[in-house]
Amino acid sequence: MASQGYSADESSADRNVEIWKIKKLIKSLEMARGNGTSMISLIIPPKDQIARVSKMLADEFGTASNIKSRVNRLSVLSAITSVQQRLKLYTKVPPNGLVIYCGTIVTEEGKEKKVNIDFEPFKPINTSLYLCDNKFHTEALSALLADDNKFGFIVMDGNGALFGTLQGNTREVLHKFNVDLPKKHGRGGQSALRFARLRMEKRHNYVRKVAETAVQLFISNDKPNIAGLVLAGSADFKTELSQSDMFDPRLQGKVIKLVDVSYGGENGFNQAIELAAESLANVKFIQEKKLIAKYFEEISQDTGKYCFGVVDTLKALECGAVEILICWENLDLVRYVLKNHQSGEETILHLTPEQEKDKTHFTDKTTGVELELVDSMPLLEWLANNYKSFGATLEIITDRSQEGSQYVRGFGGIGGILRYKVDLQQLTDLEEDFNDIDLDDYM
Amino acid sequence: MSDNTSAPDCWEAAADENLSTIATSMSTLNVNAPVFIPNVNAPEFVPSFMKEETGQTQPAAPDPPPEPSTGTPEDLAVTNLDGDVTADSWEEAADAATPSPNRETPPTPPTPGTPDEDEEEDSDEIKKPKKKPLDEDDSAPKKEPVNVIFIGHVDAGKSTIGGQIMYLTGMVEKRTLEKYEREAKEKNRETWYLSWALDTNLEERDKGKTVEVGRAYFETDQKHFTILDAPGHKSFVPNMIGGACQADLAVLVISARKGEFETGFERGGQTREHAMLAKTAGVKHLIVLINKMDDSTVQWSEKRYNECKEKLVPYLKKVGFNPSKDIMFMPCSGLTGANLREQIDETLCPWYKGPAFIPYINNLPPLNRNMSGPFMMPVVDRYNDRGTIVMGKVESGCCKKGDNIVVMPNKTPVTVDMLWRDEDETGTVNCGENVKVKLRGVEEADVAPGFVLCDPSNPCKTGRIFDAQVVILEHKSIICAGYSAVCHIHSVAEEVTVKLLLCTLDKKSGDKSQLRPRFVKQDQIAIMRFETSGVICMEAFKDHPQLGRFTLRDEGKTIAIGKVLKVLE
Repeated sequence: MASQGYSADESSADRNVEIWKIKKLIKSLEMARGNGTSMISLIIPPKDQIARVSKMLADEFGTASNIKSRVNRLSVLSAITSVQQRLKLYTKVPPNGLVIYCGTIVTEEGKEKKVNIDFEPFKPINTSLYLCDNKFHTEALSALLADDNKFGFIVMDGNGALFGTLQGNTREVLHKFNVDLPKKHGRGGQSALRFARLRMEKRHNYVRKVAETAVQLFISNDKPNIAGLVLAGSADFKTELSQSDMFDPRLQGKVIKLVDVSYGGENGFNQAIELAAESLANVKFIQEKKLIAKYFEEISQDTGKYCFGVVDTLKALECGAVEILICWENLDLVRYVLKNHQSGEETILHLTPEQEKDKTHFTDKTTGVELELVDSMPLLEWLANNYKSFGATLEIITDRSQEGSQYVRGFGGIGGILRYKVDLQQLTDLEEDFNDIDLDDYM
Repeated sequence: MSDNTSAPDCWEAAADENLSTIATSMSTLNVNAPVFIPNVNAPEFVPSFMKEETGQTQPAAPDPPPEPSTGTPEDLAVTNLDGDVTADSWEEAADAATPSPNRETPPTPPTPGTPDEDEEEDSDEIKKPKKKPLDEDDSAPKKEPVNVIFIGHVDAGKSTIGGQIMYLTGMVEKRTLEKYEREAKEKNRETWYLSWALDTNLEERDKGKTVEVGRAYFETDQKHFTILDAPGHKSFVPNMIGGACQADLAVLVISARKGEFETGFERGGQTREHAMLAKTAGVKHLIVLINKMDDSTVQWSEKRYNECKEKLVPYLKKVGFNPSKDIMFMPCSGLTGANLREQIDETLCPWYKGPAFIPYINNLPPLNRNMSGPFMMPVVDRYNDRGTIVMGKVESGCCKKGDNIVVMPNKTPVTVDMLWRDEDETGTVNCGENVKVKLRGVEEADVAPGFVLCDPSNPCKTGRIFDAQVVILEHKSIICAGYSAVCHIHSVAEEVTVKLLLCTLDKKSGDKSQLRPRFVKQDQIAIMRFETSGVICMEAFKDHPQLGRFTLRDEGKTIAIGKVLKVLE
């Protein structure tokens, strides 16, 4: 799947950054709304001809001039013209195809803003699309992001079953239900056999229900929609299921592993992913877990080759000490470049949305002069643009794994593994509130 | 492994600091306290004890120490005294604190009817036997209930010993056993027939592995024992914890057979984990049965017995059991039944002079129970049999037929319709008994394991967020906010997430760090704030130890143990 558009030396880490950028783009495009049907989404697959598309646009231009509403007509025409102009920049369709979005969007403040985006996707896009609508169509792009290998999980134990999938770095719970199986009570006497039989029946029904639900969830259009299936469970339910006649043979063929987990539910799901890691080694979720586990190892061994928090991380970056920069994909810090127009000094601030509201950050502490905002951009975006100049690789992670969630909630979602030990003052205060706790309350 | 459990040591150490409180709590709470108080300071017992110790550890001790005199008051005094000192600091603190909840109890319905004044713990405890027959409406006088859990590595012989005991005490008929034997033979599982008395499910019998906690009971002339047979397999540890939380006494079964002992005791073996979980679940006294002594690789060899013992003692000590006080070693054979009821045959095993298993547990000092507290019983299991029936162990107080109680955390008011102690229907149940309760006013589906039956005037606390002190036992990476695991607290298993680390505690001094830690590692003690995924019943450890201690497990391993300090919301 290595796209030709990338030179061979570009690592998978860069690809991940690329993917993240597209994700972000999709998000912003999805949010955009325009007037009438003036938003053009155009996707040209690889090996198509620019000339053909140009002709199609010229025809569309002709059709659009018949639109009755003046406002709508003008905006559609101007959008088509912009697309045509953009298209002129390309002599041929890039190897991975071409995506162009163009239109006038209405911003939050009600102002109109013209958008014109053209880019080559990070891997070949096999869709041909031309749509004028009041929004941008990004489904094809989202589909591109989805990893091709989707793995199904069935976690079943005595209390219930959980059906989930793992694809790329998304872990999804499709369905879960609880069952109430009779436990052993040692109730006996004459009806001991009857109880035993009732119990067997209930268990049998449970296996049947799981098998049927599995078919519903993992088979679409008469084909399994997953690349592999992992069965997990605490007792021998999973083996019972895998050997049962009720279990669809199409799914039976997809079973790649049976794993023993001690709990059902979410925890069992996590454990099943962990245990099946070998079979799923190239799934991004697993790689992500491994990366953060490595980071945690540095911490637990106290090697000093790690950093976390914005201030420390940026300091370490400036030293060129960061080997792998790990960032949470939804990091909401914003980087502000402020200028004191009296002294001409420039300062850089990284603020959370909450801190942003506090206007004291935007005035000079000593003189009380209001600082001039030179530039503001999300920190992650800034890092994505600049990480190479610091000699680091950037990994963007999610908080869906156990490790990811710890990293985000415990370490603020930004940090890095260092090449060598750097003496950072570990005083970055991420502690906001909670100072009301009196430790003497305890014991 | 040496580092693994150093933490409980420190609690032990902390306990020593509170020695004065121990003494007071002991004198106040001991049932027969006035009789035995002189013994506490009597010097002659210490040497006698030491002698007993050496006698057991040295292979060829020629003169047997005066141990066989089991039933004598002297011996009882020793064990009695020990029974109290064993408890780790948490227990001590709890014991010391118990009077306060007791004081609150007088307004609760069940107690006013009883004639005791709750002025002094002593008088209260002494009056108990008098009171029992008073409101007893079934003919048989009540025996002291004791819940015994059998733990140990898979295939150590837990179920077999359980079955053998049932047979020896006449709870299983010979005929039934013969039938089992025949059936077992058909499945080529001849030696497993004894365990079938407890492994009642088909899968369990097919595989010869206990899955769920088996339950049975037997009686001696003084006590009523409930046997809980825990599964030994790694995957079923959650089930084992559910059983351990109801136990008063744990029996760690060790296989002496060559190779089996070693695998059970290795890092991945359940011997260690079970012993530790039992300790965390609140078991104070441990009996180690070295099983399979009749095996061809062992042949009642004293050398093997001592080998097992020597390897176990340091570990059990680390877990928090005091080897001289709360651990008792004895050899046995589950299959032949040797040394379970009758003392062992002189010709087979000339070197063991101690008591047999059943007499020994029969003669253990009575347990310290919170009889006068508000009624509280965590539900372990429930089923439907012409009404909603819940099972569990009464943790405090007592309950009568017809009483109005509430089911927490949903605060459902219910009426007690019927009560069973094991298989027999009774009119009242007391603290420590393993009972079944038929409830009126609630559907079976609306009760789940982990719910707690409570006194309406004194319901237990419920919440989703709590602060707790935890000791990280084994975790390869670090734990910080965002970490999630499964928390076992009384009979609940619930997913919890660490919300916040409040502080770390110094292992030696117990001092709290002023800086808020960002993460904790293995072997550290910390106070953390947890959030559960659903509302659960719990209590601060100092108020109700049994509802306040918990274990954190993840990926099939026990990560940490802890106690609830405060229930927030």
